[in-house]
Amino acid sequence: MLHPSKFVTAVVTGVLAIGLSACGAGDSSKNAAGPGTSGGKIRVGVTVYNMSSFITAGKEGMTSFAAANNIELVWNSANDDVSTQASQVDQYINQKVDAIIVVPVQADSLGPQIDAAKKAKIPLLAVNAELNSTQLAGSVQPDDIAAGAGEMKMMADKLGGKGNIVILQGPLGGSGEINRGKGIASVLAKYPNIKVLAKDTANWKRDESVNKMKNWISAYGDKINGVVSENDDMGLGALQASKEAGKSVPIVGIDGIEDGLNAVKSGAFIGTMLQNGTVELSAGLAVAAKIARGEKVDLKPIYVMPKITKDNVDLAIKHVVTGRTAFLKQLPAMTTKNLQTGNIANEGI
Amino acid sequence: MRSVTPKGSVQEAGTTVPSSEVVNAEPARFSKDWLTDRLLRNSMLIVMLLVITYFSYRSARFGTVDNLRTILIAAAPFALIALGQTLVILTGGIDLSVGSLIALAGMSSAWVAVHHPGQVWMTVGTALLAGLIVGSINGFLVAKVNVPPFIATLGMLTACSGMAYVIGGGAPINGLPKEFGNIANTAILGVQIPVLVMIVGILAFSVMMRRTSYGMRVYAVGGNRVAAEIAGVKASRTLFSVYAISGVLAGLSGVMLASRVISGAPTLGKGYELDAIAAVVIGGASLMGGRGTIWGTALGLFLIQTLNNGLDILTVPAYWQSVIKGVLIISAVAVDVWSTSRRRR
Repeated sequence: MLHPSKFVTAVVTGVLAIGLSACGAGDSSKNAAGPGTSGGKIRVGVTVYNMSSFITAGKEGMTSFAAANNIELVWNSANDDVSTQASQVDQYINQKVDAIIVVPVQADSLGPQIDAAKKAKIPLLAVNAELNSTQLAGSVQPDDIAAGAGEMKMMADKLGGKGNIVILQGPLGGSGEINRGKGIASVLAKYPNIKVLAKDTANWKRDESVNKMKNWISAYGDKINGVVSENDDMGLGALQASKEAGKSVPIVGIDGIEDGLNAVKSGAFIGTMLQNGTVELSAGLAVAAKIARGEKVDLKPIYVMPKITKDNVDLAIKHVVTGRTAFLKQLPAMTTKNLQTGNIANEGI
Repeated sequence: MRSVTPKGSVQEAGTTVPSSEVVNAEPARFSKDWLTDRLLRNSMLIVMLLVITYFSYRSARFGTVDNLRTILIAAAPFALIALGQTLVILTGGIDLSVGSLIALAGMSSAWVAVHHPGQVWMTVGTALLAGLIVGSINGFLVAKVNVPPFIATLGMLTACSGMAYVIGGGAPINGLPKEFGNIANTAILGVQIPVLVMIVGILAFSVMMRRTSYGMRVYAVGGNRVAAEIAGVKASRTLFSVYAISGVLAGLSGVMLASRVISGAPTLGKGYELDAIAAVVIGGASLMGGRGTIWGTALGLFLIQTLNNGLDILTVPAYWQSVIKGVLIISAVAVDVWSTSRRRR
């Protein structure tokens, strides 16, 4: 009779051995059709900073494009942690995927991983947010500077060039906050009569921004003439705070998430800049796929966000919310066409 | 430093004086020792008064009723989990899972709100149930399986966070019906519901801990589990209950928070467990268990919230606020440890 602990050790070892060999068997059966052949199946590893509203929408677009283009997507979320993201990239390199897409936690990160990917001849792209590196195989970026400028211009026009605003920022150090901030500042420079009463981060989150805005209302009360929020979620928190305080101020955001678009329609937001995750991320995947398959493509297309106001919000809502399934169906074809024309943000709005 | 010996007792070399004997010896009233002792014991209250004074001086808008309401509504979700955390810490344990549990409860109630619009009680009930289930798992692991609380609740933290994402299919839940917002945004006599819940909760828990046998059992188990069991307290039942209570309170906090911002975000409440623990510790509780009060926790909680509010009003950036909070936690514990050892000399 085996001693209990020895028995357990034997069972565990057996299970591990079977498990590991199963993993190995799985690997060898993949990549039967090499990626070099145009249209052959490829595996793309994706790591994102977090499953925000935007990223989750984007995932649907990527999945739709992947299904129509013989791509297997491996998906991972880094929970806002830089080192987690680094490990995820390392894992993809070890798994020898055909391309890696990173939506980075921080602009200044992943240096060693980018070099390792280059050495392993795996194209690594930054999509939706920047990575400070010259070694990237490609980069599909929204024009965050233009987006910041666009939303600030909307607020400046609304205020008639005069008034006090507060600014809600994204996580400090991320390219979103840095670039949208640059855009906002560039427009502010042209309007010396618009003063910034306060500026701080609410980390893209509604529950943080509602308290931050409430405190600013305590501090400045009716002096606040407008809220410039670097994303819709934080703007919606500010909206809630204003309601609680019995005030109503113009708010402008970026992203065009479902709740944000509804706010534009109802007039609670004066506008937003549409960053259609499905369109942007599927464009990123399309570029990655072309590079992995050795086809010619613009390595750095820019996603220019369309301005959404009450005039065109209905069409945006149709694409993003109500007619979503139909939109996703025609997305792969639209993305491929957009890659050729160069306007990857085009969706007829 | 002049040491104080009890009147009439003779301490022989080599014997240990029971700590109670020395502590009972009160220094002469209003003497330097007495004042120092009082100052140290109430250090956080003094800090609170200083903070309020400073902010009131720097900004006329700080000391207004509207601002007080702003502080209260921001404090409400933190207060609920701090109450639960007090009970847990009093037993010598810790509950790291409350932040993720807020997310899980918020997401589940949001899901119910989307799929069963108009059923307010169902949404609140779902959140409470989620909290009860997770809290009970924590309690079971700690009380029956004897997993160290840090590990058990850390594991649940990770699991709950993942579950929150599972409910939303990886996404936040947008497009919630307006009625969902009524849970947190309805006001009774001008006071928003979460604030009422917070006030009632603090009062009820304070009475419960001081005046009921349940409260005594919690203190007993935390102070000396073996002695408590010998005295007839069913320690494992008490331990189970504090985690279950902490879970239910986190569930309630989650639905209130989700309702206030009318959205189900899987990142809701992220990191809040540290604020709850900070409030309890600043309030004078010992992480070893057996020592601490609900009012102490309330003080710690409002100190943190007042700082958040005042620093925002003075437009001090968010990262500095974290530095100040950290320094405060360390000083609170350091002063507490030092003053206790002082009294024992």
